[in-house]
Amino acid sequence: MKRLSAALVVVVVALTLAGAALAGATTYAGPWQWSQNQGAGSSFSSSWKYNYFFKNGSGHDATVTFIDNVTYSWHATVRNTSATTYTYWFVTNVKRGHCRANSAYFWGSCVVVN
Amino acid sequence: MVGVRMTRRRRAIVASISALATAIVASSVVAGQFRSPDPEAFHVGLATGEIARVADIAAGDGLPGRGVFVQATDTGQICLWDAPSASSQQRQGGCNSVDDPLGGSALSASLAYDGGPAVEDVRDARLIGLASRDVATVQVLMSDGTRREMRLRKAMLESDEYRAFGYRFKRSDLRGGVGPIAVIARAATGDEIARQSTGIGG
Repeated sequence: MKRLSAALVVVVVALTLAGAALAGATTYAGPWQWSQNQGAGSSFSSSWKYNYFFKNGSGHDATVTFIDNVTYSWHATVRNTSATTYTYWFVTNVKRGHCRANSAYFWGSCVVVN
Repeated sequence: MVGVRMTRRRRAIVASISALATAIVASSVVAGQFRSPDPEAFHVGLATGEIARVADIAAGDGLPGRGVFVQATDTGQICLWDAPSASSQQRQGGCNSVDDPLGGSALSASLAYDGGPAVEDVRDARLIGLASRDVATVQVLMSDGTRREMRLRKAMLESDEYRAFGYRFKRSDLRGGVGPIAVIARAATGDEIARQSTGIGG
């Protein structure tokens, strides 16, 4: 019985940790000062759904998108000057998050969330 | 002579260490000016607050209509979305502080597209935006020099009045390599009061 309880505790802890990892956010660029036309990309994964560009305020022109690993085409691309630029693309394809600064001299970071 | 050399070397080493330390401290100070929000907390915050449809994106070229939505989150963000519906997770756009919904400008526009990055390869491209009540017209300047007029709709945000718009670019434009390059807001006098660069592939 003790062994069964211990095993159950291990399973619950493992599932909890796995769940936390699955719901996690990964910063793939920054925070740093961006140059104009500077871009960055996350690792490839089938689980990324959301792509954020967090900036140190509004007025900084930036793009977020997803790039698939077959055609390398851009998907759900968004470009704006908001303090946070955001997109969502939910498909099971393998893809990476990509972000790009279209203006210079601002601080920011890019984050993918699954 | 050896002693002098040692002193010079020591001075050089001390100077190098000082320069490195200064650079590290300076970069930390500058980096400290920007603290990225906690991404997961920000993400969770997007599920809060109220969302309202403020303009439409017409169906066209075989693609379904969409909406332009404004969301005021419980975490102090005003987000402008291009989405199929208010409840859809398929949102694309951006957020500003509730204290400054237009980000210090008279115009806040957001371009969304699928395909590319070459303009000819884009299957669907849409522009949404919010402008101050002083704005009488909003035009999109295209890469061939032509302009597209946005239809403005009155939108209330809290107790403040704005102008909202949504637009889908024609597939014939995109196939011809013609895409948007700037969004221009003008007052009733015709004076330009805001301009925002945009573009596909950037």
